[in-house]
Amino acid sequence: MPIFQEIYHATYVLKTLDVDFAVHVAHSNSCLRADLEQIITSLGFVDYVSAGGVQKFSSGGYEVEFIAHRKGSRNDDAMQVREWNIVAQPLPLISLLLDFSEEALLDDFIIRYPVPEAFFIHKLIVAQKRRSPAKQSKDLEQCAVLMNILRDDPLLHIMESVRLGRGTKGHLRTSCTALNFPLHRLGL
Amino acid sequence: MKVEENDRAVHGLLEEEHRRCKDILQSLLDKMKEYPKGSLNVRKKYYKDNVYHYHYLVSREGGAVVNRHVPEEKLPLVREHMKQREKYQKEIQSYRKRIAYLERLLKIPKLQRSRDKHSS
Repeated sequence: MPIFQEIYHATYVLKTLDVDFAVHVAHSNSCLRADLEQIITSLGFVDYVSAGGVQKFSSGGYEVEFIAHRKGSRNDDAMQVREWNIVAQPLPLISLLLDFSEEALLDDFIIRYPVPEAFFIHKLIVAQKRRSPAKQSKDLEQCAVLMNILRDDPLLHIMESVRLGRGTKGHLRTSCTALNFPLHRLGL
Repeated sequence: MKVEENDRAVHGLLEEEHRRCKDILQSLLDKMKEYPKGSLNVRKKYYKDNVYHYHYLVSREGGAVVNRHVPEEKLPLVREHMKQREKYQKEIQSYRKRIAYLERLLKIPKLQRSRDKHSS
């Protein structure tokens, strides 16, 4: 959300100290390409393993972790990414964020982030999968903020490009109804 | 009504944050156990005009002070591990402060706070 605030001026007041990086290895190779664990700990972060077996880093209250696309069921174990020496947490629909992304230069760093339309669709779906009502309302609040900056063409393009199941479409409909977002803008 | 709804949502987020901080704290405490606790102490021994330095790791164990000899070749590694432990302690301290702050915000009774502390 801070990136959307910076680039698209979508104002959202709540801030998180939990920083997630989505990873995707296009050409898997067992040899090490960059030791991210070493790079991050050299910046003053300490590493630890969460109860779920996912490697995380912490410094000054900031928590950094890596997430990856999960294909199967919820029971998937933590994913070892040997190329970068990290252990990522597999989560559903992360490919949606990775496949529809763009780059920007912020504070001299090139950052790749999902386009707001992809982030919006992702949040609409995961909001209905949340076990915590607080997180669900936070997802929907973020969607409500993003609604003002969404463009119709990318929305429809994403919806046409991804194959969504009946259940996922149901989640989309439920979230859209809660937000009063017109379903036709998603081609539903 | 709207204010009340927002208040509930914010309260829920604070609860989530509280749970997250406690989980991180536990993971950091577990990780810190991998590193040696205590401080390094040097003892000098004089023998036949020579001075010998022996390093000891001094720590408290159940009220007693324990001195553990650290061989010369393991000294750099122990120093490195102690530095790491310090880093973890600093991070743990920041999470403890944050948890205390969140508990005040969430108005968690002190009795429950101490019960949670002992169980973790």
